[in-house]
Amino acid sequence: MDLDKKPLKKKFITVDFLYERLSSRLGIDLERMNKVSESERRITERDIHRPGLALAGFTNLFTYQRVQIFGNTETRFLNHLPPVKRIKAFANIATFKVPCIVVTDKNKLEPKLLALATAAGIPVFRTTLTTTKFIYLISDFLDDQFAPHQTYHGSMLDVYGIGMLFVGRSGIGKSEIALDLIERGHRLVADDAVVITRKGESVLMAAGTDLVKHFMEIRGLGIINIEAMFGVRAIRFQKRVELIVELMEWDGTQEYTRTGFERDTALLLGVEIPVVKLPIFPGKNVTVIAEVIALNYLLKHYGYDAAEELDKRIKQKIATGAVGGKASPNGLSGRAIEYFEHDFE
Amino acid sequence: MIVKEVTIRNKAGLHTRPAAQIVKAASKFKADFFIEKDGAEINAKSIIGVMTLAAPKGTKLKLRFNGTDEKDAAAVITKLFDDGFGEV
Repeated sequence: MDLDKKPLKKKFITVDFLYERLSSRLGIDLERMNKVSESERRITERDIHRPGLALAGFTNLFTYQRVQIFGNTETRFLNHLPPVKRIKAFANIATFKVPCIVVTDKNKLEPKLLALATAAGIPVFRTTLTTTKFIYLISDFLDDQFAPHQTYHGSMLDVYGIGMLFVGRSGIGKSEIALDLIERGHRLVADDAVVITRKGESVLMAAGTDLVKHFMEIRGLGIINIEAMFGVRAIRFQKRVELIVELMEWDGTQEYTRTGFERDTALLLGVEIPVVKLPIFPGKNVTVIAEVIALNYLLKHYGYDAAEELDKRIKQKIATGAVGGKASPNGLSGRAIEYFEHDFE
Repeated sequence: MIVKEVTIRNKAGLHTRPAAQIVKAASKFKADFFIEKDGAEINAKSIIGVMTLAAPKGTKLKLRFNGTDEKDAAAVITKLFDDGFGEV
């Protein structure tokens, strides 16, 4: 199964979108300081910039295309300049196509400078948040906006808190397994079209598409809506991808793991995710196996690996002829019970 | 039916990895495959079965193959034992 698709990336967001999201979604108290056309200003990068050196006159390497933050340093620097030089310093950076300026930590941009920004069409905002706090919030937001993402064909579910992505050829029964898992109390994130976004360097987050959300198709039945049918307990809007379960038809010539020592992984948006290859055939209860895969993943996560544990016991038995210090009788591996008491009813 | 006698040759004995090798090789054949140790017999297409043998180096095992492709199965699997599962 080829999951290593080329990631997509947003090219830009507009400043009015940034303003709207920061205020409504992140609850940041942003004050508009001037009236310019925000929808024409584009942000193309996830990084932000503090233009201290640019204000001092050094504009080589000035990353003007980033969101510019005016914190205490920039404000105090401007304030310590004599008025003429102050205007010159600010006018200098206003000649660049800066997407927007955010003045943090209750600082202010004096009216003359603000007028320069307005004339240059640069939106200016003000926030009472400290510079570090604001940078933390906006970086996280921009990071998410410009994160690599891609749509995958599969079913995404939360099974016992583990984010499992079921993949496999069309018609192999991913939706049916999803439905079965939902019926057993697990939660659907998305079916058929799963949008996966890389958060930071190593975390993959999955969600449905805004259009389809928790609708799904069951062959022979048609479209159903999981949220309407099973209620809010049956759905999730986002979940980290922790495991991939690849469903495949049973093929006698292929080898499947028998111990679980072999660890398969797949590269998704540059992140390595463990893969369980699950051969299926009629009469096999994949749902229960999916639950067991999730529980086994949890056990391993908490430090218990059943295959390693049994391997340890076998090695001990081979070396000493006994497990756990008890000598076993001759013959086969030895019985777990030394002496059967009578078991009458 | 084919019966073969083999000896465990690798130092670590018949631990999990060799057991998995045997089971995987055996599952490719249609023939039934059993391993006998000290009079007790296990189905060698079951990983837990093979693991319960817990046979150390030097153990003698009796392999029994039964089925249409028993000859090939016997050849492949005795070779695994003779090679010490690639651990010698």
